[in-house]
Amino acid sequence: MSTPAPRLVALAGNPNVGKTSLFNVMTQSRHRVGNYAGVTVERREGEVAAAMQPPVPITLVDLPGCYSLTATSADEVAAHAALTGADGPAPSAIILVVDATNLSRNLYFALQLRELGVPMVIALNMSDTAKGLGLTADAARLAERLGAPVIPTSGRSGDGARELVAAVARLPERGTPHLVAIDPDADPGMAELAETLADLGGDAPRSRWLLASAAAAEGIDVPGDPDEHRRLAAIEPDRLRRAALALVELRYREVDRVLAHAAATSTDRSAAPAMAMSDRIDGLLTHRLWGLVAFALVMGTIFTAVFTWAQPFMDAIEWAMGLLSEAVSDALGPGLLTDLVTQGVIAGAGNVVVFVPQIAMLFLFLGALEDSGYLARAAFLMDRLMSRLGLHGRAFIPLLSGYACAVPAILGTRTISSFKDRLVTILMIPYMSCSARLPIYSLVIGALFVADPDAEGANLQRAGILLGMYALSTCSALAVGYIAKRTLLRSPTPPLVLELPPYRVPRLRNTVLMVYDRTMDFVRNAGTVILAMTIVLWALLSFPRDATGAGGEGPTQIAQSYAGRAAQTLEPALEPIGQDWRMGIGIIGSFAAREVLVGTLGLVYGMEADEDDPVELREAIRADVNAETGKPRHTPLSGLALMVFFVYACQCMSTLAVVRRETNSWKWTLFMFFSMTAIAYVAALLVFQGGRALGFG
Amino acid sequence: MLPQVPRRDLASLSVGESGDVAGLDGDGALVIRLAEMGFVVGTPVRLIKVAPLGDPLQFSLRGYHISLRRAEAARVRIA
Repeated sequence: MSTPAPRLVALAGNPNVGKTSLFNVMTQSRHRVGNYAGVTVERREGEVAAAMQPPVPITLVDLPGCYSLTATSADEVAAHAALTGADGPAPSAIILVVDATNLSRNLYFALQLRELGVPMVIALNMSDTAKGLGLTADAARLAERLGAPVIPTSGRSGDGARELVAAVARLPERGTPHLVAIDPDADPGMAELAETLADLGGDAPRSRWLLASAAAAEGIDVPGDPDEHRRLAAIEPDRLRRAALALVELRYREVDRVLAHAAATSTDRSAAPAMAMSDRIDGLLTHRLWGLVAFALVMGTIFTAVFTWAQPFMDAIEWAMGLLSEAVSDALGPGLLTDLVTQGVIAGAGNVVVFVPQIAMLFLFLGALEDSGYLARAAFLMDRLMSRLGLHGRAFIPLLSGYACAVPAILGTRTISSFKDRLVTILMIPYMSCSARLPIYSLVIGALFVADPDAEGANLQRAGILLGMYALSTCSALAVGYIAKRTLLRSPTPPLVLELPPYRVPRLRNTVLMVYDRTMDFVRNAGTVILAMTIVLWALLSFPRDATGAGGEGPTQIAQSYAGRAAQTLEPALEPIGQDWRMGIGIIGSFAAREVLVGTLGLVYGMEADEDDPVELREAIRADVNAETGKPRHTPLSGLALMVFFVYACQCMSTLAVVRRETNSWKWTLFMFFSMTAIAYVAALLVFQGGRALGFG
Repeated sequence: MLPQVPRRDLASLSVGESGDVAGLDGDGALVIRLAEMGFVVGTPVRLIKVAPLGDPLQFSLRGYHISLRRAEAARVRIA
């Protein structure tokens, strides 16, 4: 017996309606993750599980949550394309999830979807909560007015999911578009709407969508054929706008009629009964004073999690990779192959996996905060500050995370819906002084500024210099954002039209699945680039092999490697910023990750350097004397120049790999690398030459 | 001649006060999006709260809460 081809069903709904919970219930959490063509809008797809007893096999596609299909952002464009089959096969049915506690706005989307003519089932989700609030809606009457079966469900308990699946299986193969009728005699607005639609080729689902999307067009190209574009261009913009608004009003009038027929309506029509409990919580969490205190606590916790709590896991990964390297070395014996495997492949895999704890920590918090409804409040609290830069309140958390590590921070920018604003935020993040810069600051301060850590005032001096570096990096990030927003990525401040959903207890299962998806996406996509770059770097630092036959890695080997030769060739360029070729090798090696500078310098000076407390290396740097002049090679001024260089330089291939993944573009990745390196060089030059002119060093 | 009534918009509400939407000013995505979020003529909207830093504002309409900046709220005329 052959199994019939699965029925493709799209799962649609507004954000915050429990769509993801229902998806996870129906698929029993087994799904594949992909992207819509050309954009980083996530596309999840899974089979309806056998436990749901589907009469026919059903493949569910989870559409991005959106309030409308009108093309106002990448999410809506992707949802519309997926529903109409412009991007892959068209679904043969839609499950629309609506929030029973907030029907008015949800039903607007239902009426818009119904226009497409795809058979539809409506999941009246959170029915239990609605009942508790006294918001009774009559499912049978709703179904009658909407022309689609309405099934009460609860994504939390899973109630109603089987009935929903059964209802999908009963749907006809084909549906008919159901347009809310326009009465041209109702008022002048409706008459104008009817005329405008006639000019677009008649009242049809496609012309309605084109009309609204063209009126909203702003930075987004409305997909359409040349004929459609010609007709749209012929309509005066003001008329287009009035007609689009009349279309929205037409649908909302119908929503009000449906609700009057099928649901108990409140006497105060501006009241939000579902928000009663949330209002009390907001009394604290968005309070003038306590709201900001609570926000600082939440941010402090996230920051500590990424900065500190992830550390033991990262140490364990490094320890395990070390063990693996040793085991491979022992098994293969010394030789080129062993070096390739241990220092290239295993180290490269380690460079990828080591980010997993930080990414998982950040997304665990982001997921729980999003699910609970607090992420919207965070944007509400911080929007004033971010909008001064020209950004959305949602940019705050990714920027803050940049102080811990740019990699998870850049992955976290996906909550920003405008691509240009996301890019501005991504360009800002690597300037935030991340945790990998600390070992460098410590090495330089310990070697050249505070020789005796026990001396009086040593801690104060150390803290002062560190604070200076963090202040420099923060101001630079803000300046980069300010400039990018006004030049390269010029765009108006994105409007804040932000739903503040009711607070809900986050679902651990949803969050854990999301963390897993995002982490695997990083490992698969950015991971391969990081692995490849680690092997290339290893080769640059290891070839050609030492001709003297000394083998090993001593100072001679690394000095005559390609990287060493390059650094010596570049020495004339390094001198003006107070560095020599040894530091040059360190800078090249630290492209793998900034903290690798310590280990690479150790190799240059022929010693094992411990990243956390490289005592010998500090002394070697301090004692290094230029044989020709008899003066010390490194001074506090050259040290300061080096630190400033590392504040700005994009010395992190993992950041670049993630930028490449998230922007889907090598152009922006290379722009980031070259612009940051150029700024770093100029800044170090100004410090060193300026300092000398003023008589320091 | 009728006396000139000062134009009122959502940004001019005080906390707890409500008004009915009378129209939307401006063009582009924002106005269409505001309408699709339920700010259509005749819809009552109440100002719930001002964010701690003075902007944005929190409104209640059609059974849910939404946050708009003052600049966006000023696009919504009320009667």
